[in-house]
Amino acid sequence: MPELRKDPVVGRWVIIATERARRPGNFLDQERTIFDQTSLCPFCDNKDFEIYKLKGDKDGKWKVKVVLNGTTILSTNEKFKRRGDGIYDVINRYGAQEVVIETPKHIANMADLDIKQIKLVIQTYVARFKDLEKDTKLQYIMAYKNYGWAAGSRPIGHSRSQIIATSVNPLRVKEKLIGAKRHYEYRERCIYCDILRQELEYKKRLITQTEHFVAIAPFASRFPFEVLIIPRKHHCDFAEGVIGQEEDFARMLKDILLRFKIGLNDPAYNYVIHTAPFRQKNKGPKWKTIEEDYHWHVEIRSRLARDAGFEKGSGFYICAIPPEDTAEFLREVDL
Amino acid sequence: MGELRRDPIIGQWVIVAGKDDSLKPEDYPKEKHVVEHAAICQFCPGRENQTPPEVDAIRPGGSRANSSGWWSRVIPNKFPALKIEGNLGKRGDGIYDLSNGIGAHEVLIETSDHYKQLADLAPEEIANVIKLAQNRSLSLAKDKRFRYVMIFKNYGESAGASVEHSHSQIIALPMVPKTVVAELEGAKNYFGYRGRCVYCDIIQQEIEDEERIVTQNEHFIAFCPYVPRYPFESWIVPKEHNSRFCLLNDPERFSLASILKETLMRIKIILSDPSYNFYLHVTPLNYKDEETYHWHIEIIPKLSRVTGHEWGTGFYVVHTCASVAAGFLRDASVAVS
Repeated sequence: MPELRKDPVVGRWVIIATERARRPGNFLDQERTIFDQTSLCPFCDNKDFEIYKLKGDKDGKWKVKVVLNGTTILSTNEKFKRRGDGIYDVINRYGAQEVVIETPKHIANMADLDIKQIKLVIQTYVARFKDLEKDTKLQYIMAYKNYGWAAGSRPIGHSRSQIIATSVNPLRVKEKLIGAKRHYEYRERCIYCDILRQELEYKKRLITQTEHFVAIAPFASRFPFEVLIIPRKHHCDFAEGVIGQEEDFARMLKDILLRFKIGLNDPAYNYVIHTAPFRQKNKGPKWKTIEEDYHWHVEIRSRLARDAGFEKGSGFYICAIPPEDTAEFLREVDL
Repeated sequence: MGELRRDPIIGQWVIVAGKDDSLKPEDYPKEKHVVEHAAICQFCPGRENQTPPEVDAIRPGGSRANSSGWWSRVIPNKFPALKIEGNLGKRGDGIYDLSNGIGAHEVLIETSDHYKQLADLAPEEIANVIKLAQNRSLSLAKDKRFRYVMIFKNYGESAGASVEHSHSQIIALPMVPKTVVAELEGAKNYFGYRGRCVYCDIIQQEIEDEERIVTQNEHFIAFCPYVPRYPFESWIVPKEHNSRFCLLNDPERFSLASILKETLMRIKIILSDPSYNFYLHVTPLNYKDEETYHWHIEIIPKLSRVTGHEWGTGFYVVHTCASVAAGFLRDASVAVS
């Protein structure tokens, strides 16, 4: 019998296939990424406007670089303007869209960077988050990665991620904030702390743990091989909460990405770092308990299944493999 | 110059490219559809015994159920996502909620011709497909366990279709899906605030603005929504306030069949036969606030890939603005019946 499971934070129902479940080894990235080897890599020899750079101690050369990419829509070189258009609301394109070039070397997958290098990427995120927070017109910031064609990336084999900051709180973030707040009002506990406690006790959905982080396959997974990384220490804000844990976070990220690469034959994937909105601008009565009720976390999704009409139209998801099987499979990948 | 636009129904913000920097149809990757499985297709006439027994069919010559001689037919999905037998068995597991996967999952085979797509069928044939979908909705509505009937279609491999013979799907669910709840609540709030249906207001503005209209006929209008989530997203909405898809009469059904065919043809011509999804957003079963909601169809050509940003935030980035998309679709040369 398939199961209907409810996401404890946002209340989304998913259908977890049980009998028709596919074996983990049968999942394949159907649009397997073929990286362009012929043209010059625009990230090895980057000419974009440089926003930020982390230099090496010894040679003074850049290790991680943040640039403005020409193809983006948002820009902070605009005046912030709101207007109405009949019944519609419009804001101009104010916002930040930045590209983080994660290594000077032409390496495609973050899983193949060493922990020290990933730590520099994390520190770069923190620096950019702190800097963009100063802009009073921005409300929300997110760091994310698209790896591989199916994940929405161009086929350039150079590891990079993106930072986006917007003048409004996005819908899916709001759903999480509202769900977490509701749980807090009802139980006076953080929902993510509760999830963490229960998953550590149950063990069946645990993938791996480090000193500061726990990776699980979420109870109401939407996709095969969905992973949730939760920091053990409660903190609503990534850029503050991760301080002192950067290297351990890098270790956890590399661990999961390597399990994907080895166990699932180098599939396309996305990760998203979810953090609280900028607090001094979001501290009104609406989010006043945000420091207690929200908990920063990372969502990772392999791109082995396609969203079809049902998922798009309903927001209901059909997950073709139970998260317990995902966890077991990823646990047993030989690193 | 791009901008941020807010959906007036659910309040979702979307980043939309400007008219001057919108991507054109030729800027999106093309997909080839290969039709190669006719010899083994279980949806083809003569192989009715290979599918589960049909639950409804259009049989103009009055042929026997599960024999050939049909135009369209509805069968239970051989590999259903949800099971029809049993009870919900709602329960908790620590902090989690779950229940048994109860529901109906049916396949509507739209034509007996393996080589025809939905857009290739005559309006009369499409009207029959719609009639079957209405019949199934009415029939599934009688099952007390169900709260919602979702009708949708996946065309082409990258839109998630696994069988090439033209078909759509019907899923009856024991709860109202989240996306629909958001629309129902948004529409109800709007109604509470202004005393009017938000979709009726949208139609009025679209008819005045004109630039986002794809086509219209007596009963329906097709347009590219001001706040799309995907490039060339197109909606088909009844012009008069209407919350009951199931109750469409003959002339309305024919109008819907014509506009659906025409819109799909325009998408096919302008975007070189892309994969697409469409789905119906209707009211839940036994819905009380019918004056606040307006059923409609959303068509989404599969042109772009959802990135981490869109997945994580629901904040979509659309590189073709709605008026540019509608302009291309309007200019497609199709023979309109």
